[in-house]
Amino acid sequence: MSGENDEFGLDELLDEVSPPQPLPEPAPPETLPTMAAPSEAEFMGESGAVTGKARMEAAYGTGEGEGQGMAMVAQSATPGSGTIFHQIYRPWRGNLNPRWVRNWSILRHHVYGLFSKGHRPWPMTTKLVVVIVLFGSLLPIISMSIAALTGLDALMTIYGVSRANLWGHILGTFHNTCCWPLLTALIVGGLISEDRQFGTSAIYFSRPVTRTDYTLMKYISAALILSMIIVLSYCAYYAAAIILNNEGWAYLLDTLPFFLVGLVVAFMLFVTFTSIGLALSSISTGRFFPAVAFLGIIFGSRILAFLIKLLFSEDTLYLISPYDNLAHVGQWMMGLNTTYEFPAAWSFVALLLMNGVSLYILISRVNSLEVTRE
Amino acid sequence: MTEEWIIETHDLVKKYGEHLALDKVNLAVRPGATGLLGPNGAGKSTLLKTILGLIALTSGGGKVLGHDIATEGAKIRQRIGYMPEYDCLIPDMEAIHQVRYAGELLGMNSSSAVQRAHEVLEYVGLRDQRYRAVSTFSTGMEQATKLACSLIHDPDLLLCDEPTNGLDASARGFMLDTLFQVVKQGGRSIIMSSHLMDDVERICDRMLMIHKGQVIAQGRIEDLKAIDREIEISVWGGASKIEEKLKDMGQSVRRTGRVMRITRIDDSTYGTIIQAAAESGVQIRKMEDYEPSLEDLFIVIMDRLGYSVKSSRDLLGGETPAMDQAAQLGRKVA
Repeated sequence: MSGENDEFGLDELLDEVSPPQPLPEPAPPETLPTMAAPSEAEFMGESGAVTGKARMEAAYGTGEGEGQGMAMVAQSATPGSGTIFHQIYRPWRGNLNPRWVRNWSILRHHVYGLFSKGHRPWPMTTKLVVVIVLFGSLLPIISMSIAALTGLDALMTIYGVSRANLWGHILGTFHNTCCWPLLTALIVGGLISEDRQFGTSAIYFSRPVTRTDYTLMKYISAALILSMIIVLSYCAYYAAAIILNNEGWAYLLDTLPFFLVGLVVAFMLFVTFTSIGLALSSISTGRFFPAVAFLGIIFGSRILAFLIKLLFSEDTLYLISPYDNLAHVGQWMMGLNTTYEFPAAWSFVALLLMNGVSLYILISRVNSLEVTRE
Repeated sequence: MTEEWIIETHDLVKKYGEHLALDKVNLAVRPGATGLLGPNGAGKSTLLKTILGLIALTSGGGKVLGHDIATEGAKIRQRIGYMPEYDCLIPDMEAIHQVRYAGELLGMNSSSAVQRAHEVLEYVGLRDQRYRAVSTFSTGMEQATKLACSLIHDPDLLLCDEPTNGLDASARGFMLDTLFQVVKQGGRSIIMSSHLMDDVERICDRMLMIHKGQVIAQGRIEDLKAIDREIEISVWGGASKIEEKLKDMGQSVRRTGRVMRITRIDDSTYGTIIQAAAESGVQIRKMEDYEPSLEDLFIVIMDRLGYSVKSSRDLLGGETPAMDQAAQLGRKVA
């Protein structure tokens, strides 16, 4: 616009405005510094002659290739035009907690996974089975409730608290056919085998988690989940019996010893099942084999011993059945008539052996878990 | 250990029964990026486990980040981030929780681990994908998640085992840039094991080559390249004449057409070449130092060990006839 026609003084206004600044040149990508460092090279144990990088153009050179002798260096992640992403490494200045915090995180990862997101992703089928088994194991409470509401004493006698019923809640046929083995197979099956399958053992062992801690926390996690269902339902059953029958202190004092013995038996049950299950898990890749193998051991040994007894009237083979050993020891501890012809001590020794062998397999197989590759 | 070494070992020996996995390994690794090279079965994995303080050594000892390898494994692993070559992620877990759990296993508070997991996932380019299950990730995203897991506690030393394994060109470039930034911006050290020489050369300024459990070369890559320094010339008008002349003058010459490479003994080699050209009446159109790649260096070192290999793939790429041949040659040499 010329100054002659500039009635509004635009030229002056424009002069006052600072001239447009040129766009800043993009910063050159940062590269590794190519400083000359003193030689520290070693080849076959001998220090080699170090001449550094030298470049030369010959007298007859055409100039082609000039600048081609540059060392390759990494380009920075400086974003190009139109890119928003800025890659900035931020340091972390926190403190790492001691061993028990790491172990707690392993325990929490497995146990919380059943209830909330962000922890071990248990399959939906496992979660459903846990709920079904829990409700299944609480069926006697429903029966007692009906008995209390309807006044049917016979029903209360059948389902109410007694030595046999307390034993039966832990070691009865229904619970040990439909509930606990299935629960154990699904819970324990993949605990270690999936670490082997997915290589997640590297996540543990490349960190300050020892194999002892790893094994122990896996064991406690599995045992805790099993005990939550078994012991919780057992306690609920006992408490319901007292409340629904409106029993007093005398009843409590009479039955409490049996209840406590039942707790010990429950402890033996979930420890034994966890040991066998984790041992199978440790020798497997994936959750299917350990689960099926566990059910096979529990049911298979029992069926085999039963068939042998039918054929030869000899029940000593029940010693190979984890369930029957538990049942036998449980009967003895509760003061019930045992249904086996051999002494309960044999069953107890057999249980110790089963647990010992299982733990040996578990420990040796966990020791073989690799960090780098399987 | 002095501050200038992040890893320092003395006569490390590790035997698995009769098999000698590490044979008197003496390492001195400075801070920065170091490439770990070696054929399959050379002892790389054993060395990585040794650095992590995971295995009981047969004899010898050393320190990593100032901690004793034999007795302070847990302390070492608190300060090291390890990125395994193979899958190590829980498939059905979301990336953010996966990384958080990796931090918790180091002893981080849950809240700190979550906060830091967000940071590192953003750093590795997974900010928008962090609530996706790992099983839905591509290989590049899985590798990035593994890197995030190893970076969550801001380790002093990062061990990367084949970090670009299975990545396409774009993802590979991003991974290498990211690792480079860890060294440059973060001032952290990296030991990178890789079969891809280009990757090592791009990230690392130092390398460590092991073979049959022994360290056969270590130091700055540029310095090591000096063992194979050649002068490349392009000639016109009688290439065979100058080749013969140079050989007569005691030079080592490799020729392909009009281009030949002469082993550089010292600065006088340039004069010798020009003299040979003048005496044989040949024009030198171009003369320059030949910059060997890491691949060249690897082949030269293997050649000197008595291996007949044409490329690093023969030795690093898995079981091949060339590898069998090399193994036989190696046994003969031994």
